Amino acid sequence: MPDKKITVRATRFDPDKDEKPRLQSYEIPFPDESMVVLDALNYIKSHVDGSLSYRWSCRMGICGSCGMMVDGVPKLTCNAFLRDYWPKAVTVEPLNNFPIIRDLVTDLDDFMHKLKSIKPWIIRKQELPLGAGEHRQTNEQIDDFRQFSQCINCMLCYAACPVYGLDDKFLGPAATALARRYNLDSRDQGLKQRLPMVADPDGVWECSFVGECSVVCPKGVDPAKAIQQTKLDTTMRFVLPYGNRE
Amino acid sequence: MALGWWTRTAHYFWYIVREFTAVPLALWMLWFVVEIQRAQNGPKGYYPHSSTGFVIFSVIVLLFALYHSTTFLSLAGVILHFKVFDRPIPSRLIVLSQFGLWLVASVVIAFVLVYFGR
Repeated sequence: MPDKKITVRATRFDPDKDEKPRLQSYEIPFPDESMVVLDALNYIKSHVDGSLSYRWSCRMGICGSCGMMVDGVPKLTCNAFLRDYWPKAVTVEPLNNFPIIRDLVTDLDDFMHKLKSIKPWIIRKQELPLGAGEHRQTNEQIDDFRQFSQCINCMLCYAACPVYGLDDKFLGPAATALARRYNLDSRDQGLKQRLPMVADPDGVWECSFVGECSVVCPKGVDPAKAIQQTKLDTTMRFVLPYGNRE
Repeated sequence: MALGWWTRTAHYFWYIVREFTAVPLALWMLWFVVEIQRAQNGPKGYYPHSSTGFVIFSVIVLLFALYHSTTFLSLAGVILHFKVFDRPIPSRLIVLSQFGLWLVASVVIAFVLVYFGR
């Protein structure tokens, strides 16, 4: 029985040499049904073309490094099984809506800047004295923000968001979900510091609820939910008397 | 982004259809204002059955309005979050309540229109 093979078409782009990105085909062995797209890329780099550049790390869906477009859909390549595409060729491209540095590697500076702007850490007006012990939370208090804390910053949501694709000033799904995660945390007192970013016209109000961000999110964060709930919360804070309380 | 980005996936396509429904709805409102103006001289001067075009257009726009309303109310469970006795209300229940309110409002409005329009 002939050995099974699969064709992987990967974007190649060297800014020093190429005018624009192009697709290069690689035919590789496909001996194991559990192989994922990341395995294919690693095989190409190890045995076929060592110049192929891409990001990866944990290879188990927790670090968020290996996000790429797989047949036009933003996916973690460590979680995209080749058997779902075989016998057709698999096309692997860099994440949409981000500038390409090289091959499958994209420039993430815009997201990093936006992430920092929403202050993704516990903010306290006054730290508890050491003698008071640790911050205690009930399971219900943790459940309030647990879902939004699952974000691994893989940026598949930004690649899927047509609003971000059309206007990169949009704060975006992941940053908003993380802002909500901290705003809902009972230990946090930094909501007012985050409000200027999230309640900005380029914040939550730029979102028109396409919902594709939540469809592609590999961790079930549901950033679309975070954005819409933030819209409602910021509106109620504006409308209600004494609504702008901490 | 390419101009045809909204044709890439079914999800994008139906999102654009959802957003597009505002256009026929706005056109219907304008036409409705014209029909009201035509009826200003009372029932004797107005023959609704002669506005066949308006009736047909209304049926088409109704389909757009139903789609728009259904998608909007279906998302209520995502947008609204309530707690009762510290327990979050399931999103399915919130969505059901929205559709229920829609049904009640529709029955009331239909009753008012039919009763006072006799």
